[in-house]
Amino acid sequence: MSKAGSGSAGPVIVVCLRPADPAARVDPVSGHVDRDPGMLGLPPAEAAALEYGLRVAEAWSGRVLAVTAGDASADEVLRQVAALGVEVLRVPWHAADEEYVADLAADERALAAALAAAIRKATGPDGPALVLTGDRSADRGTGALPAYLAHELGAAQALGLVGLEATGDHLVAERRLDGGRRERLRVPRPAVCSVEAAGVRLRRAGLPGLLAAASAQVPVAAAAPAGGPQVTVGRARPFRPRARVVPPPAGASARERLLRLTGVLDTHEPPTVIGPVDAAEAADALLDFLRRTGHLEAQDAADAAAR
Amino acid sequence: MADPRVNGRAAAEVDAVVVGAGPAGSAAAWALARAGKSVVLLERGPFPGSKNLYGGVVYGRILDEIVPRWWEEVPVQRWVVRRSTMVMTATQALTVDFRTQAWGRPPYNGMTVYRADFDRWLAGKAVEAGATLVTSTVATGLLRDEAGRIAGVRTDRPDGDLRARIVIACDGVNSFLAKEARLLPRTNPEHLTLGVKEVLALPREVIDERFGLRGDEGLDIEILGCTGDIPGGGFLYTNGDTVSVGVVLSLAHLGKAGKRPEEVIAGLKAHPAIAPYLRGATLKEYGAHLIPEGGYNHMPALYTDGMLVAGDAAGMCLAAGIWLEGVNFAIGSGLAAGRAAAKALDAGDLSASGLSVYQRELEKGFVLANHERLRGAPDLVLSERVQRRYPGLVADLVEGMFTVTDPKPKPGLLALLRRAARRNDVKLRHLLADGLRGGRVFR
Repeated sequence: MSKAGSGSAGPVIVVCLRPADPAARVDPVSGHVDRDPGMLGLPPAEAAALEYGLRVAEAWSGRVLAVTAGDASADEVLRQVAALGVEVLRVPWHAADEEYVADLAADERALAAALAAAIRKATGPDGPALVLTGDRSADRGTGALPAYLAHELGAAQALGLVGLEATGDHLVAERRLDGGRRERLRVPRPAVCSVEAAGVRLRRAGLPGLLAAASAQVPVAAAAPAGGPQVTVGRARPFRPRARVVPPPAGASARERLLRLTGVLDTHEPPTVIGPVDAAEAADALLDFLRRTGHLEAQDAADAAAR
Repeated sequence: MADPRVNGRAAAEVDAVVVGAGPAGSAAAWALARAGKSVVLLERGPFPGSKNLYGGVVYGRILDEIVPRWWEEVPVQRWVVRRSTMVMTATQALTVDFRTQAWGRPPYNGMTVYRADFDRWLAGKAVEAGATLVTSTVATGLLRDEAGRIAGVRTDRPDGDLRARIVIACDGVNSFLAKEARLLPRTNPEHLTLGVKEVLALPREVIDERFGLRGDEGLDIEILGCTGDIPGGGFLYTNGDTVSVGVVLSLAHLGKAGKRPEEVIAGLKAHPAIAPYLRGATLKEYGAHLIPEGGYNHMPALYTDGMLVAGDAAGMCLAAGIWLEGVNFAIGSGLAAGRAAAKALDAGDLSASGLSVYQRELEKGFVLANHERLRGAPDLVLSERVQRRYPGLVADLVEGMFTVTDPKPKPGLLALLRRAARRNDVKLRHLLADGLRGGRVFR
């Protein structure tokens, strides 16, 4: 078990968690979400973030602080997390869980600001060395929170990771690319990283830790700073763009108007087959075409002025 | 308390550990916590009830002891106001149907529940009383102190030894702890049945219409003669917007029959008396679970030094034909175990002799009194004649009674009985003997 306890003076690794009900019921008509607070648990990506946090804390001899924003229903999950030897903190946040529209309005920028304020206060002047989150919360998350958090904390960001390892005083992260390839990122400190539910499995808490945490009080941060959401949502309704008004086709007869509408009488540049030519000639032909159609006029003028 | 080291290792310490957060375990933990004892309730699933399968009726009187006016908060599906017993053959069905609106009002008689909801609610009461619930944790064995006495449990958690002055095993029909303590003998399929259940979804209003219900009213149908060559029975219960339908099959005979349990359920669902109820239903869930139906004669020893056994682990499931009850016996035995353990802890005597108060509590209450009085019921109810021949006899007899033979003279009842007995290969002396036996069992 991690001994990244509160007594350690090393860097602080913050893990932002959002407990979710895996069997939440959503009314298909109203969008009302019916969650069972007793069923809240850690979604797989959040559990992976916590495990990565524990590993990095072990490598850096640091401590882990698990933060969640929510009401008291999240405390049970935080107690289970605390059984792993992790400090916990709840940021009071009344997410508009009940109504879809209100949930949309409570955008993640305001949430990130509240979390960042609590994290700064809890981690002191040095701030966190690393903030970890799941790549997106299991209940309708957009995946934007880690980026907002990085902005608020002035930290580097590496999102959607499938691997994270502490090497010396920096991190090496791994991310999926198309075609089954991976890229490796060298991530400086401080950083905000989000991870997918891949590669690791959250360790089990020891029984003494579980028993000790079962009745522990979960610390609650000071109230989140005031600041309304940036998103204004009116009435929720299907997206129906207004019809675009176009002038009626000219023509005396119906046939002429149809011809005009379908554009068969308009002059078109016929398709041009160039080649076979080498790459340089093909590039010249392409540039000629772009100049002829006016796409490169501005660039040419800028080049001439520079000369 | 003695040295907190067990088997040479440090261990957490509590007054009692209850293994299994089913109805028995939660009731035991509640009783202990109410008595001011430190108690840990271990559950192997991610939450209480997550591993349970139950398609039955929970009778509520025993809950009066735990939660006054429990009906205002219990996660009920429907209150049972209709109770039907159906005897069927492949083409016939005779139903005795009873309905009372009194069961649909407080203090209520029985209810259909989802065990995942009900067990979680009951475990919540134990936690409210002061018990510590630890989920996703399997008790893998017993701890013993230097003198060899049971001194707690070993779990699959890191540093998972939990020292306790008393262990209450409520870990189900196949209790490994009771076996390790040599209380529960090796599994004998003769004393077990296999309950197989399907949960079928139907709109609430369709259930109300088809079963003659409204609001929160529910129906419980118990069925005899629906399991073909395999002794057993069937059931159909209404939930809010689902119906639980299934069979309970003799495990030993199921093995010999070489038949898959879902084939038996399919046969029941296709029966002309059942199929109209289920038309258009969609399958939501399928599961199976062992049930200890051996009754009083096959119960294990209920206590030993430092340990008590309750609920299914102690075989406290009553399968007596008319009465089919398990959850209320589990709660009753759990409460008795918790109270007996608290008394023994107060007295400082956790030996088998000190814990024998548990057995006396159970004998004074309904749990062992009912089991003892109906000790002959399981053998009679699961007998070959009752299961395979009498349903046909009864159905033929009633068909004869209700068939109008004009212009031929109406046959007498005795003649009809003789004819039905002949058709179903039942000798009247056997019928008489079983009647007398039944009279003695259900006296």
